[in-house]
Amino acid sequence: MTASTFLFRGAAVPFRPGETIAAALTAAGLRTFGLDPAGRETRYFCGIGACQACLVRVDGVLVEACLTPARADGRVEPAEDRHDRS
Amino acid sequence: MTDPDLLVIGGGPAGIAAAVRAADAGASVMLVEMRPALGGAFHRRPIEGVEPWPIGREGERRWARLDEGLVRTGIVPRLRTAFLGLDGAGAALLEDRVAGRVEACHPRAIILATGALESVRPRPGWHRPGVVTAGGLQVMMKETGRIPEGRILLAGSGPLLIALAGQLTARGRPPVAVVEAADPFTEMVAGLGLLAHPRHLAEAAVHLGRLALARVPWRRATVLEAITPKGDAFEVRLRDRRGRRTTLEVDHVALHDGIRPNDHGLPAANETPGAGPIVVSAGDGREVLGVVAAEIDGERAADRALALIDGRPEATRDHLRRLARERHAQAVLARVFAPARPLDPLETLPDDTVLCRCEGRTVGDLKVLFTGADTPAGREIKLTGRFAMGLCQGRFCAHWVAEASARLGPDAPAPRPRDLTGDRWPARPVPIAALAAVPDAPKR
Ligand SMILES: Cc1cc2nc3c(=O)[nH]c(=O)nc-3n(C[C@H](O)[C@H](O)[C@H](O)COP(=O)(O)OP(=O)(O)OC[C@H]3O[C@@H](n4cnc5c(N)ncnc54)[C@H](O)[C@@H]3O)c2cc1C
Ligand code: FES
Repeated sequence: MTASTFLFRGAAVPFRPGETIAAALTAAGLRTFGLDPAGRETRYFCGIGACQACLVRVDGVLVEACLTPARADGRVEPAEDRHDRS
Repeated sequence: MTDPDLLVIGGGPAGIAAAVRAADAGASVMLVEMRPALGGAFHRRPIEGVEPWPIGREGERRWARLDEGLVRTGIVPRLRTAFLGLDGAGAALLEDRVAGRVEACHPRAIILATGALESVRPRPGWHRPGVVTAGGLQVMMKETGRIPEGRILLAGSGPLLIALAGQLTARGRPPVAVVEAADPFTEMVAGLGLLAHPRHLAEAAVHLGRLALARVPWRRATVLEAITPKGDAFEVRLRDRRGRRTTLEVDHVALHDGIRPNDHGLPAANETPGAGPIVVSAGDGREVLGVVAAEIDGERAADRALALIDGRPEATRDHLRRLARERHAQAVLARVFAPARPLDPLETLPDDTVLCRCEGRTVGDLKVLFTGADTPAGREIKLTGRFAMGLCQGRFCAHWVAEASARLGPDAPAPRPRDLTGDRWPARPVPIAALAAVPDAPKR
C-alpha cells in the first residue's frame, strides 16, 4: 500500500485517511506552516478552529489546517502566497 | 434543501442529545458540525484505523447511547459544515466546506451547542510556534493516536492538565512535569466538597495515581513565567510558591488556564416567537458544566425550543435538578483550583510580551494607549491600538486586554471583552466565491 500524499510548498507530505492537514504537517516535523497575510508565522495552537493561527491555502482557498482533512494530491500553500484561484 | 424545524449547531454531546430529543418528539432536525467527525471536545473520534482514546467505561457507555440515538432517529449529521451566523433577514448561513458554498437555511428554531474554548493566560513566549494549548495537543492525540516526539511540559491551571497528563502517562509518554498555579487539595475544606461528587473524585484519583506511579512531578503553587526558544527546544522558567526560580528544557509546551463558553460572534438567545428564529444555547457553550451536564442541557434546550415553537410540554424540573448538581461540582473544582497566590497582573509582564497573538500587539503597545490625557475606551483600544482586530477577532486576547486596561486606567469604566470583540461574524475565513453564491432561499 502506498501512503497518500499532498503537496505542501511543492513537497510531498504523507498523511493517513481522515487526518487533518495540521496533523500531517506536524507529523512531518513542521512547526510553522509559512507566513500569514500579516507576515506572522502560522502555527498550530488551539486545534479547534478558534485561534485562526493555522491558516493555509488549499487549492488557493484560505482554511484552518486544524479543521481541514488532507486530500490526496491536494495543493497546500502558506496563507501569505496570494495566487487566488477561487 | 428543505428547511428543518430545528437546526442544531455543534456535534458534541449537547448538540447530539438535543437533536435526538427533538427528533424523538417528532420534529425535523438538521445537525451540523464543522469538523470532519462528530464527538466534540470529550468524545472526539479517531481517524480511520486508530483506536478510540480511552475515556473510561462510563464515557464509552454515554457515547454509545448518543450514537444509538442518532441511528434510531435516522439523523444524518452534516459534517464539515460551519454555522456562520444569522443574516439580517434571520436566515442561518451554513458554509458547506465539502461543496465550497454557503447556504441559507430557515429553521423555526436554532440550538447553539458550540462547546467550550480554552483560556490561555499570556506569558512571554506563549505565541511561539511549538507552544500549543493542552486541548490542541489532546485533539491531535485523540484523532491521530500520535503523541509528538520529545519532552512535553503541561502548564497553567485546571483539572484538564492532570487529565491530559494521566492520558499521556497511560500511553507510556509521561510529561516532564505538570505545572499548576493552584495548590489543589491543601485547601481541605474545598477539597472535601468533592466527596459529594464521587465521579469527579474518582477520575482525579485515577490520573493522579498514574502520575505518582510514573513519578511525574506535579508542581503545585508554581507558575510558568516565560518560554524562550533554544534551538528547536524551549527553555521555560518556573517560579514556585516561595518565589524560587528554576529553568527546564523541553521540546513542547502545552498551556491551559481553564475553559469558558465558546459563544463568540454567535447570535443572542431569542425566546420570543415571531421575532426571527428561536435561538437557545446548550452545553458548555451556554455554561461550562462538563460532559455529563452537556447531554442533560442538550435535552433541556430541545424541550425549550419545541415548547416555544409548538407549545410542547417541557420536562424541565428533572433536568434543572441534575444540572444544579453538576454546577455544584464545577464550583467546588473552581475553588480547589483557585490560584495559590495572586497571579502577576498582566501589565507587570515585560513590555514585549505579546497580548494579541494575531497582530503581535504587546503589553508595551497597550500601555502607550494609556499615556495620554484621556483614558481610552474599549473602542479606541481596538481601533487605535489594534487589539482584538486580528483574525481570531479577540477570542484569545479580549479578556486579557480588558483586564489589563481596567488596571491601567482605573479612573474610567473598565472595558468589557465584548466592547473589544464586538459581534463580528463570520468568525472564520469564508471564500468570497462561496459567499457570493448564497441562494436567495424562499422564506417559509
Ligand atoms: C480541551 C478540552 C478538554 C476537555 N476535557 C474534558 C474532560 O476531560 N471532562 C469533562 O467533563 N469535560 C471536558 N471538557 C469540557 C467539554 O467541553 C465538555 O465536557 C463537553 O465536551 C461539552 O459538550 P458540548 O456538546 O457542549 O461541546 P463540545 O463537545 O465541545 O462540542 C461542540 C461542537 O461544536 C462544533 N462547533 C463549534 N462551532 C461551530 C460552528 N460555528 N459550526 C459548526 N460546528 C461548530 C465543534 O467543532 C464541536 O464539535 C473539555 C473541554 C475542552 C475544550
Ligand atoms: S489551530 Fe487554532 S484555528 Fe487551527
